[in-house]
Amino acid sequence: MPDLSRSEESASMGSEQPELSEELQGRLLLAERTDKEINEAVLRPMFQTGLGFWILIGILVAIIALGMFAWGYQIRWGMGTAGINQPVYWGLYIATFIFWVGISHAGTMISAVLRLLKADWRRPITRGAEAMTAFALLMAAMYPLIHLGRVWKFYWMLPYPNSRLMWPNFQSPLMWDMVAIFTYLIGSMLYLYLALIPDLAMARDHTGGWRYKFYRIFGLGWRGTEGEWHKLGQALRIFSVIIIPVFLSVHSIVSWDFAVTIQPRWHSTIFAPYFVIGAVYSGLSALAAILIIVRKTMHLEEFLRSEHFDALGKLILVAGLGWFYFWFSGFIVEWYGNEPVVRELIHDEITGELAPLFWLQMVCNVVPILLLFSKRIRTKPWALLILALAINVGMFTERFLIVVGNLQRNYLPFNWGEYKPTWVEISVVAMTFAGFVLLYALFSRVIPYVPVWEIKEGRLRYSLRRIGRLLVPTAAEIE
Amino acid sequence: MDEATELIALFRKPADTADAIDALLAAGVSSDQIVVMSGVPYPEGALGRHVEWTRLPYIVIAGALGGMLFGLFLAVITPHLYRLDVGGHPPVGFPPAAIIIFVFTMMATIISTFLGVLWEMNFPEFGPKAYDKRVTDGDLAVLVEFPDDLTDKVHKLLERYGARDIRTPEPETL
Amino acid sequence: MAKAAKPYADHADPDQLRRWGMVVDLDRCTGCQACVVACHAENNIQIAGEDEALIGRTLHWIRIERYWEGEYPNVKARFMPVLCQQCSAAPCEPVCPVFATYHTPDGLNAQVYNRCIGTRYCGSACPYKVRVYNWFAPEFPEPMEQQLNPDVSVRQRGIIEKCSFCIQRIRRADLDASLEEREVEDGDIQPACVQSCPSSALIFGNFDDPDSHAARLARGNRAFRLLDQLGTDPAVIYLKGGETNA
Repeated sequence: MPDLSRSEESASMGSEQPELSEELQGRLLLAERTDKEINEAVLRPMFQTGLGFWILIGILVAIIALGMFAWGYQIRWGMGTAGINQPVYWGLYIATFIFWVGISHAGTMISAVLRLLKADWRRPITRGAEAMTAFALLMAAMYPLIHLGRVWKFYWMLPYPNSRLMWPNFQSPLMWDMVAIFTYLIGSMLYLYLALIPDLAMARDHTGGWRYKFYRIFGLGWRGTEGEWHKLGQALRIFSVIIIPVFLSVHSIVSWDFAVTIQPRWHSTIFAPYFVIGAVYSGLSALAAILIIVRKTMHLEEFLRSEHFDALGKLILVAGLGWFYFWFSGFIVEWYGNEPVVRELIHDEITGELAPLFWLQMVCNVVPILLLFSKRIRTKPWALLILALAINVGMFTERFLIVVGNLQRNYLPFNWGEYKPTWVEISVVAMTFAGFVLLYALFSRVIPYVPVWEIKEGRLRYSLRRIGRLLVPTAAEIE
Repeated sequence: MDEATELIALFRKPADTADAIDALLAAGVSSDQIVVMSGVPYPEGALGRHVEWTRLPYIVIAGALGGMLFGLFLAVITPHLYRLDVGGHPPVGFPPAAIIIFVFTMMATIISTFLGVLWEMNFPEFGPKAYDKRVTDGDLAVLVEFPDDLTDKVHKLLERYGARDIRTPEPETL
Repeated sequence: MAKAAKPYADHADPDQLRRWGMVVDLDRCTGCQACVVACHAENNIQIAGEDEALIGRTLHWIRIERYWEGEYPNVKARFMPVLCQQCSAAPCEPVCPVFATYHTPDGLNAQVYNRCIGTRYCGSACPYKVRVYNWFAPEFPEPMEQQLNPDVSVRQRGIIEKCSFCIQRIRRADLDASLEEREVEDGDIQPACVQSCPSSALIFGNFDDPDSHAARLARGNRAFRLLDQLGTDPAVIYLKGGETNA
């Protein structure tokens, strides 16, 4: 039987090629495209900045301007302009902070974990995922500043020799937060950039004007020599391994902000894995939503196919099941223990004043898990989009309930309280959402969204093999 | 000392490139003088060449150690420099110290990997270099430097293995 | 009863080693709030105002918690003054990223106003919820600014504060005693709340001095500590009250 390996052919296929099944025809890495065509297909959307795009940018800038005004207002007049009070000292800001850190976890899962596991369906997605991580972390990193009462003294949290002879308190989880988020931010940005260099070189070779100048600088003079590829591959492998413990530790550390206190329902050992799996769940869903939107608006249907959403949907399903397992583990222990304050908090959540939010959370988190079992739903973009957005709403509500809900009650009932966010908080939170979308939109027009070299590398690995009467795609075991 | 000539040629298939390289080596061109550029990473050995040794793992380990020491300093030494007792805890506890040391080790490893790989690749390098833009469109470019007297031989060799556009490279700013 | 944890014992000045504590006799407390007012006056605490108080932003370093018990006509009001418990194993101290709160050798949970950057972590971590926050810049309506205490700073917005056992009075008494070359006697130091209580429900003293009034009361059989099961090791001892009826 003729070996139908594709690695030798970069141009059109020979005439002995048998009829491929529809499913095989739909596989990205088996598609009949030349490298040149792939380059053009990826570069073309970057130039699509029509009226709709600029209107979107305008709206985002307006929201950001309002948010900056609100933040400035808060700095000038004090934290009293926000809705927090005693005992609910932490509110919407911290909830959104955790949400953003959570979103950032999916990028690393896709890039690093799947790269190490040699899952080829990650190839068109990695850059979009890593960009999501980087921008989500940038937004998250703003919140430790936003929620400070005296933000102009924030630099006291940095370890530098000073005349007061004082160092920051490294026993404080907020310090762990700072260093962990900074580490993860640097790690994900460098990872994004490293894997980007060959594609910047490709873009440099195919564009002119300001784009050429930009790509030239950040392309660093990449030529694609064997030595360069080898070193890049080594560095990416090291990165993939290192970034995994980092991303696992980051959300654990954020969870310990709560778990190390003795506040009822915060002081729980399950918090670290619960937060991490929740982060993966919400992050992967956000990624799915972003990919579906980008695919539609940038016409990248060729690169983001049903196989990718199918696989992503399965991952979301697994993360969702994990989330529910950890949620239940925490809940059953608290419910059964029946301690008075915990009882009150649970009552509040299930049937009390927080019930609408709690049930919103459960419906938005659990129903998608059940629906994602269906391959039809996973591979229908609009269905997956709705589920992914629902999951994000549910996870945001979950973070809000953890932060605010559990501060509203405590051991001395005289000091129970309530929380309602003000326009300042809502504007600032909206600012970070708009900031994220803005960064992402600009990114998609400046940087080639699909990792072209990774797809080309993937096509090298894939070939068709005959087993009896069956034609099967085969992945080669090359590094 | 013979004067050296440089030639650059484009190939379409990795197998042809590998054969051409073998032939070049057989003709007496040294391996260091052959540079292959491609738009996609070919697996080690696909082009019949040995794998370059890099210093990167050592740079990474050195960075990791530096990070660990810095984390150790921050977590274990600074609480003793200006002692403040908090919460009934001793100045240095295992969980906070472990977290800080771990995170700084990771931070330093990441930064040293990145800087290390840039160092190893001699990046950024913006000066004029021999290059062919078409490598990003799927071709492989072979840049070879050899003593003048081999010029004809090398030319015929390259043509025999299907090279296109054999010419003297004009270093272009990338 | 008032067992102190002393991590600083090996490096602090031996003369400084005391454990300040307070005894709150719930049998004597009438809920009159004189202590609250006195504390405000002594410590330059800003006035939150009615609107702020309604959303839970009162700024009382000591507050009278009132609990209603029973159904009409057998309703009882219970009063409990709650102030910073100056815990030896304080959950609020380790969480501050900039060491704005720490434990002094004489058993006080110190709050350093000009170090606080306002993360409010300590406020969330305190199980007694005794830490209050300056939500806005302080405004003292005329002529209230003339009664500000020069011994205590006026805090900027964005800073957490709490009862300090009137540390300014403690230090003043120490200074006076060392100038007069004598020891500080039991009863020399009275925080504003202790001084102003008309029924002497609050007693302040050094728990390390077994003969002090406070230490003797703390050994009594009515003594208990608030939220003792949390293990915060507070320095405020409550004495169980009898019936308090309005």
